[in-house]
Amino acid sequence: MKYSNAWHLRDIILLTLIAIFFGVIYWIIGPLYNVLTVALTPVGLGPGANDIVMGIWVMAGPLSGYVFKKVGSATLGEFLGSVVEMFLGGQWGASTMISGVVQGVASELGFTFTGYKRYDWFSLNLSVLTTTIVTFGWDMIRNGYSKYHIGLLIALFIIRLISTWIFSGVLVKAIVNLLDRTHLMQTQTR
Amino acid sequence: MATISVNHLSFSYPTEDGQKPLTLADISATFPNGGFSLLTGPSGSGKSTLMKIISGLYPKFGGLITAGEVRLNDTKISDIPETDRGQLVAMMFQNPNQQFAMDTVERELIFALENQCVAPADMMARVDRALDYVEISQLRHRQLNSLSGGEKQKVALAVIIAMQADTILLDEPFASVDPVARQLLLAKLSRLQHEEHKTIIISDHDLEDYDAYIDHLFVLNDTGDSLVLLNDKAAQQKMATFKRQDTSNQQLLLPKKTDEPIISANNLKLTAGTSTLLTQPKIDFFQHHITLLTGANGTGKSTLLLAISKLHQYNGSLLLNQKEIAKIRPNRLYQQVALVFQDADQQFLNVTVSEELALSLKNSQAPAYFKDRIPKFLEKLQLTQLQDQVVYTLSGGQKKKLQILEMLIMATPVLLFDEPFTGLDFSSLQAVMTIMKQVAKDCQQTMIIVSHQLFGLDALVDYHVTLENKQLQYVEGLA
Amino acid sequence: MNPSLKFLLAVLIALEISFTNTWTVNLGLAVIGLLVILSSRPSLKRLVLLFFVPLIPAVALAVAILLQSNAGIHFALVLFTRIYAYVFVGSAATLTTSVADLVMSLEQNAHIPSKFAYGFLGAFNLLPKIVSEVNVIRAAGNMRGQALHIWSPQLYFKAILASLDWSENLAEAMTSHGFSEDAPRTYFKQIRIRWWDWLIVIGSLALLQVALFGLHLQ
Ligand SMILES: Nc1ncnc2c1ncn2[C@@H]1O[C@H](COP(=O)(O)OP(=O)(O)OP(=O)(O)O)[C@@H](O)[C@H]1O
Ligand SMILES: Nc1ncnc2c1ncn2[C@@H]1O[C@H](COP(=O)(O)OP(=O)(O)OP(=O)(O)O)[C@@H](O)[C@H]1O
Ligand SMILES: [Mg+2]
Ligand SMILES: [Mg+2]
Repeated sequence: MKYSNAWHLRDIILLTLIAIFFGVIYWIIGPLYNVLTVALTPVGLGPGANDIVMGIWVMAGPLSGYVFKKVGSATLGEFLGSVVEMFLGGQWGASTMISGVVQGVASELGFTFTGYKRYDWFSLNLSVLTTTIVTFGWDMIRNGYSKYHIGLLIALFIIRLISTWIFSGVLVKAIVNLLDRTHLMQTQTR
Repeated sequence: MATISVNHLSFSYPTEDGQKPLTLADISATFPNGGFSLLTGPSGSGKSTLMKIISGLYPKFGGLITAGEVRLNDTKISDIPETDRGQLVAMMFQNPNQQFAMDTVERELIFALENQCVAPADMMARVDRALDYVEISQLRHRQLNSLSGGEKQKVALAVIIAMQADTILLDEPFASVDPVARQLLLAKLSRLQHEEHKTIIISDHDLEDYDAYIDHLFVLNDTGDSLVLLNDKAAQQKMATFKRQDTSNQQLLLPKKTDEPIISANNLKLTAGTSTLLTQPKIDFFQHHITLLTGANGTGKSTLLLAISKLHQYNGSLLLNQKEIAKIRPNRLYQQVALVFQDADQQFLNVTVSEELALSLKNSQAPAYFKDRIPKFLEKLQLTQLQDQVVYTLSGGQKKKLQILEMLIMATPVLLFDEPFTGLDFSSLQAVMTIMKQVAKDCQQTMIIVSHQLFGLDALVDYHVTLENKQLQYVEGLA
Repeated sequence: MNPSLKFLLAVLIALEISFTNTWTVNLGLAVIGLLVILSSRPSLKRLVLLFFVPLIPAVALAVAILLQSNAGIHFALVLFTRIYAYVFVGSAATLTTSVADLVMSLEQNAHIPSKFAYGFLGAFNLLPKIVSEVNVIRAAGNMRGQALHIWSPQLYFKAILASLDWSENLAEAMTSHGFSEDAPRTYFKQIRIRWWDWLIVIGSLALLQVALFGLHLQ
């Protein structure tokens, strides 16, 4: 199957819909983040909630990368999702769009490093790793993570890595496996 | 003004292993200029495919023309620039829900005119005229999301009128439209044909009401390799067999004093957005009975089923076995109540037909009953050969049958059906109703069925409730 | 103000305050944002929500800094006010602009391809349907004896299938309504960038630099 890098109307709608769906699922099923944050704040570990659910937040990126197999699809998917989130009045306001780009580029890198040729377990794992590193770097700046004690910093990083691996790695792979069996994607993303 | 000629057309949806099975094989026909043509044929024969080819959507959006061509007057469809096409052919789709790009009615019309590069100064006049023509000026500033199915289809027609398309294709446009709206739309189309000389092609399973309007009846056969124009006599015969059975004097009973209520509404109020759909002081639905629920488009039938399934909020009280539905936890509730959605795709969870059936059997409340009977049911529904097929590639009618069967297998005490019979051909309809009746009896189920089509229902249902003027009421007549 | 420039300004402000540590500037930005929001006459519920939504992350970040680092109260205040600045500045943009206007401006002023503009808009307008679809998917699972959780692949699988189906319908419908990628279109509502739009952007950014620099010197 050859994939072209051109974006057509159909792809753009599909990408946006997927991004919104993922946002809404997150939004309906759990104010998970808020509950965790409130629980962890008294001991000063509130930001840890961010790391625990990070994987869910960034799922749309690797998934679109994997589904569309185009240059820029992971970034675009994540970015469009963030625009929608901002309009819904998310908790991060105007910085949501910046995070969207950062997260998108972060997960895109995994596919970039494999030359957009490999779409398998390896590139997905690579994407998990780049996502964790880049988004963590961004939180060092934006959320002041850089000021934390080194022990906490390492712990947060590991939590984020595990969360991202579970959701953006294992879960995304399971979703893609289901999709591949339907043979519906092939005819769609020419 | 356009004559559409289909010349030795073959069309395929290539499979992923490179095969090219023909969905349409060497068909030819001429749809006359200025005529009103009806296209019919069994489910899965390729009607939608043909219409999308004529409107130029295929092969752009899928599939492959392997031979032949379609011409509009003397130009091949594929040679017409996309921007000019809107003035030549426009299409109205079966599903009213994903037809619009914009948020309000007016903006959608303007969007279409912008696409045609109409000068901004001329736009409002065309919008006014189109809305007037369909008599929906009052909907002008409404959110498209908040319109009923029938209203959306009227808006879709207004867009086509504003675009001043010469040829209008309608793919089962009335599937979600009630008889009143259907008559109104048909009359509008007929006026367009006679006054503005448009060419109109419409596809439908249900031939009722058409004989007063159409000039030509085309039939596509089930294998998609013959498309014929029936002569007048044959056409008349075909239409006659479709005359709706006279349901007007069929009578049902009213509920008896001794019937056990299972679902009870008290001072129930249902709203959607800004409109109130239902204010019901008191009504019961009765255990071990099959109740039919009817009412015009947008009166709130689906909304009521959703409320019972805890998918729509309500005010007042709605009890299931004396317990308030809003207070029952979802996983408990859905062991007692299940909904057969109008859209079959929403019901499926797995990939293949046999996986779907296996999941239902695994979690069924009457596994022993169904275990031996499933093969027989599959046989009756003509699904036996399809067990390894991916559910999403089944035809509309096949999906519907599978969906109904797998929900029957769950043997949930209360089963709600939202328009279960749409898109089923005649023999499938009979088979489905027989099985529903048998299962309801053997598994002691309570059923509520929403349906616009009443054919044969007198044999299936016990009671009939109508929804009119925001009130539910038991009635004796079927129609 | 021109929608594209309004959003550009909001993002640039958010970007800048991500890298600076002056809580008074954050506070000032939040207040200005709030004034703009108030001028759009939001409902009371919205306003209350606006104050509460950022509270959770803001408090969490501030408390964490106090308990888990040596950065001190000043930095905690910076993080706290930063979140409020993000949200109020962002909402000042979103609450005063409709998505449709933003998209039209992006098409006409920023010249992004119309397929991106209207593809996004068409999908965005399905949002209410998407919310109910997610509920339907979960109910459908429960009705078949299968609970779908946030970690269930089936949940996302169904969402993607719905997206596939809807995107096909919508793309075909838009095409049928005469939309063509890369073809010229006319605009019923002309959206222009006027000189004062630029003045606001450049002026605001300049003021922000002065404020940051000035307070930094003290
Ligand atoms: N995108 C697709 N990919 C593969 N096969 C398809 C696709 N669309 C339709 N088909 C198949 O092509 C055949 C014709 O489908 P089509 O939708 O044209 O039938 P139809 O006559 O409109 O049926 P219905 O009355 O149920 O709407 C069916 O067997 C269907 O399964
Ligand atoms: N946000 C809204 N604002 C106003 N009215 C709304 C809104 N959302 C839905 N409605 C109305 O609520 C009604 C929903 O009706 P519902 O779908 O339950 O009707 P129905 O009886 O099932 O109709 P049909 O026969 O077409 O399936 C429609 O009339 C629709 O216009
Ligand atoms: Mg069809
Ligand atoms: Mg309905």
